[in-house]
Amino acid sequence: MNSGRRHITKAFPWRRSLWIAALLTPALIVMVLFVLWPLLSAFRLAFYEFNGLQPTGFIGFENFRKVLFEQPYSGWTWNAFKHNIIAFVALMVFENGTAFLLAYALLKALPGHRIHQVIVFLPVVLSAVIVGFLWKLFLHPLFGLVNQTLALVGIGAIPWLGNEHTALGSILFANVWHWLGFPTLVLLAGMQRVGKEVIEAARLDGAGDYVLMTRIIWPLIAPSVTIVTILTFIGSFNWFEIPYVMAGLTGSPGGATDVLGLYFYRTAFGSTTTGIQDFGQGSALAVMMFIIVAGVTAIALRFLRRREIEL
Amino acid sequence: MSKRRIGLAVATASFAWGLAAGVAHATDISFWTWRQEDKAAYNELFADFTKENPDIHVKFESFPDENYPTIVSTALAAGKGGDVIHTHAYGWLEQFVKAGYFEPQDLKTVPSLANQPADALIAGTYRADKKVYSLPFASQTLGLFINKDVFAKAGLTPPTTWDEFITVSKALKEKGIYPLANGMGTSWFNEMFVAIFTNPFLGQDFVTDLTSGKTTFKDPRYVAALGKLLELRDYMPDGFEGIDYDTAGQLFISGKAAMLAGGSFDIASYRSQNPSINMDFVAPPVAKAGDVPQVTKFFDGGYAVNAKSANKEAALKLVNWMGTKEFGDKFSALLGNISPIKGVVIKDELLSHVAKLNETAMPHINVVYFRFEKPTGSELLQGDITKMMSGSITPDQLAADLTDGLAKWYKPFQGK
Amino acid sequence: MSAATAPKGELLKNGAIQLMLAINALIMVYPLFVMVMSSFKTNAEIFSSPFALPAHFSLSNAERVWNETNFVRYLANSLGITAAAVALILLFSTMAAYAIARYQFRLGALVLMFFLSGMTVPLKLAIIPLFIQLDSLGLVDSYAGLVLVYVAMGIPSAVFIMTGFLRTLPRELEESARMDGASELRIMRSIMLPLARPALVIVAIQNAVPIWNDFFFPLVLITSDELKTLPQGLTVFVGEFTTDWGVLFTGLTLAALPITLLYIVLSKQFISGITQGAVK
Repeated sequence: MNSGRRHITKAFPWRRSLWIAALLTPALIVMVLFVLWPLLSAFRLAFYEFNGLQPTGFIGFENFRKVLFEQPYSGWTWNAFKHNIIAFVALMVFENGTAFLLAYALLKALPGHRIHQVIVFLPVVLSAVIVGFLWKLFLHPLFGLVNQTLALVGIGAIPWLGNEHTALGSILFANVWHWLGFPTLVLLAGMQRVGKEVIEAARLDGAGDYVLMTRIIWPLIAPSVTIVTILTFIGSFNWFEIPYVMAGLTGSPGGATDVLGLYFYRTAFGSTTTGIQDFGQGSALAVMMFIIVAGVTAIALRFLRRREIEL
Repeated sequence: MSKRRIGLAVATASFAWGLAAGVAHATDISFWTWRQEDKAAYNELFADFTKENPDIHVKFESFPDENYPTIVSTALAAGKGGDVIHTHAYGWLEQFVKAGYFEPQDLKTVPSLANQPADALIAGTYRADKKVYSLPFASQTLGLFINKDVFAKAGLTPPTTWDEFITVSKALKEKGIYPLANGMGTSWFNEMFVAIFTNPFLGQDFVTDLTSGKTTFKDPRYVAALGKLLELRDYMPDGFEGIDYDTAGQLFISGKAAMLAGGSFDIASYRSQNPSINMDFVAPPVAKAGDVPQVTKFFDGGYAVNAKSANKEAALKLVNWMGTKEFGDKFSALLGNISPIKGVVIKDELLSHVAKLNETAMPHINVVYFRFEKPTGSELLQGDITKMMSGSITPDQLAADLTDGLAKWYKPFQGK
Repeated sequence: MSAATAPKGELLKNGAIQLMLAINALIMVYPLFVMVMSSFKTNAEIFSSPFALPAHFSLSNAERVWNETNFVRYLANSLGITAAAVALILLFSTMAAYAIARYQFRLGALVLMFFLSGMTVPLKLAIIPLFIQLDSLGLVDSYAGLVLVYVAMGIPSAVFIMTGFLRTLPRELEESARMDGASELRIMRSIMLPLARPALVIVAIQNAVPIWNDFFFPLVLITSDELKTLPQGLTVFVGEFTTDWGVLFTGLTLAALPITLLYIVLSKQFISGITQGAVK
């Protein structure tokens, strides 16, 4: 603090406050109108019954009871929820696992590593709609690139997106292809912060790759792993675009790819064949998803932060 | 000479008058639909309308089928949306009417309602107040497309009974032709697929029993009919679970497949994609020789007037015109859809054949009776049918899920 | 340690790493390569010889996209909406961040907390009330409504990044200008903000890419065809040409082209912009 600043403050307290208020106002108005108010309303609307798009009466926890405990809604809710969990676990293992290996490979800074960074990140900048449609075409049972390739080695037409056992996996694959670059480069940045000196020192002490990875790099990149885990969790529970494009609104076949995002959208804005909308049940779903995402994120941050400090 | 001159003067004057009137009173109204592929035909029809009503111009605006309900409901909620709105029928229409988005139509505002047969009007009527809100535009027929050339080349005749269907399919398969083009990759069509092949086994009696509360979908007749579907799997393309309805259509019109379960609404589109195709549209196989052939029929939807329209009068005028025989004739000719309007002449041979099949048709049960509340029969059936076809649930389970789900709001099923 | 002097085991390991990277690169790039090549092909070519190069580099698919669809319109809409949203995000959040970073006032910490908590809100889940809100303002199915939603979504993290950056700027410049009698506005515009340019670039890219690619909000908020964004328009387009794969691949290629080219030129900024927030 120096005297010049204090002088201004004392001389023109009014003008200064006004100036600060003017700077803050536009951002605050936008946030209040389009984030805070809708968010609070979302909690309120979940307790109302709707006729079309008009809230007609307060019905307490009725909407929640329906989506959680009344068949067939509860069945659909749990089915979608299960797929979100599967998506999270699968993405942690396959996307982030692969990303970890790639990041470690890129850390070596072998010739060509820059171009590999650019390549692995390329799909990340594309819209999920493009990626989804592209893989939908590639996974077509008769004419798709994937099955045409498999046909070369004599494997028959597999209905990737049509079979309930392969559909979710296929969509997850497209998602991994789309996003792989993100965790890769986040983890790489984390590893690079570990510092060449530390790694060199460890190597001189005779540490092999395995020891280096588990004892030195892994603990030191814990913050990056935390962030990637949380973002993967948020992403898994907000998953919408790729399933929508590749499996349609109903999460075909037969709900095998249904996730909460699709189910929420379908409930709130109506499905193709019926158009019956239910903003009340939709809001209840949104509130539960919000609680899951915000709750788990908060707890995870707490827990992981503490672990980082201990390490 | 002078007569001619007077005539010319009158013509000029009336032309100028017409022009001035056009400028002074021109009303632009918009027509919203999900039928993106019908743009050219509708524009031609609307041009005819404007010829008769020079002061009204109609703009055709179409949206993807998948998002159409969302787009319409969000626009209507905001007091926006087209002046005339193409709606689906039955339960789809009802939720919009409930919210007060559509203008009721009666013989005063829309005199051409008188041209509609009673069963068509039901499709556009709100059950609670018995008023018509949407003028029915077409009946759709679901049945079996036959590629006659493929059959001729294989030396086979199209099947009429289930046993024939199986025999013929085996023969086709041996010749390297997909007997049935369909897959299970398009949810909304899967429901139609079920209706097409089960209806001939169910019959009118089942519908009567079902709607009078005497039975449910757990009825052995329904379960047995579902069981028949499983036999079809052997004759569908490789990876049929992932084959969508569009791909199926391509397999059929390109001659790679001999038959296709489909809708009369696609006749025009298949012809335009392959003008040389030699196809027929027949009733799906019946249980045993001598049974009445039964296609499936439903009313697709209609034309409704937006209650918040700024040009309600012009919009009602257009809807009224779309209920006239003049419109119906041309509509059927251009789009290959069967207009329900009384007295409409269908010139196309195939289409008039379809109209004939309609006389003994079964209703599309789910669409006509079970789309009014959530959960709808459609979402329940669409959710389960792919599982049944891939073998992870049995027809019994599907029938139970459907019945129990509907029992939430359909009283006759409760406790059964 | 260079490869030449590395022991044999190291060489082998490096070879394995290079192989893994090469396979990964192939999986990443080959699908895009096929997409581009297929855009020159006819349907028959795509179905019968999916791996071959196109027989002719025919532009007839592109012509159809140009003539028979609203593709150009969608592209222009996306450009306009993205530019407007990013400009407003930069303006509003820089102003707010400047107030928080450069002045001490009683509610400062609280205001920052308010913005930060906005970072954790998935706005998608508030789409129902958001829709009702925009409806009451008459902003459903308008550019303005969509842009405002994006601005609201972008502000929290932009304020966070800008506040962090502005705090690092030295006090001295500002103070000496103040001594010289410069107004607060002048100090901000002429002295402080030019220094913040690198942070502004990061914030711009961090917001531009997701906005450009967004599909969910236009899906709900935009209905008129002439207002649709590129990803949303793409779904219309795919619905119209379902069976014409040559045209479909062309549409996908053209939709991917602008951002891909920009990425190749500015890959460094893109990567740091998008991973910003996860990399600190």
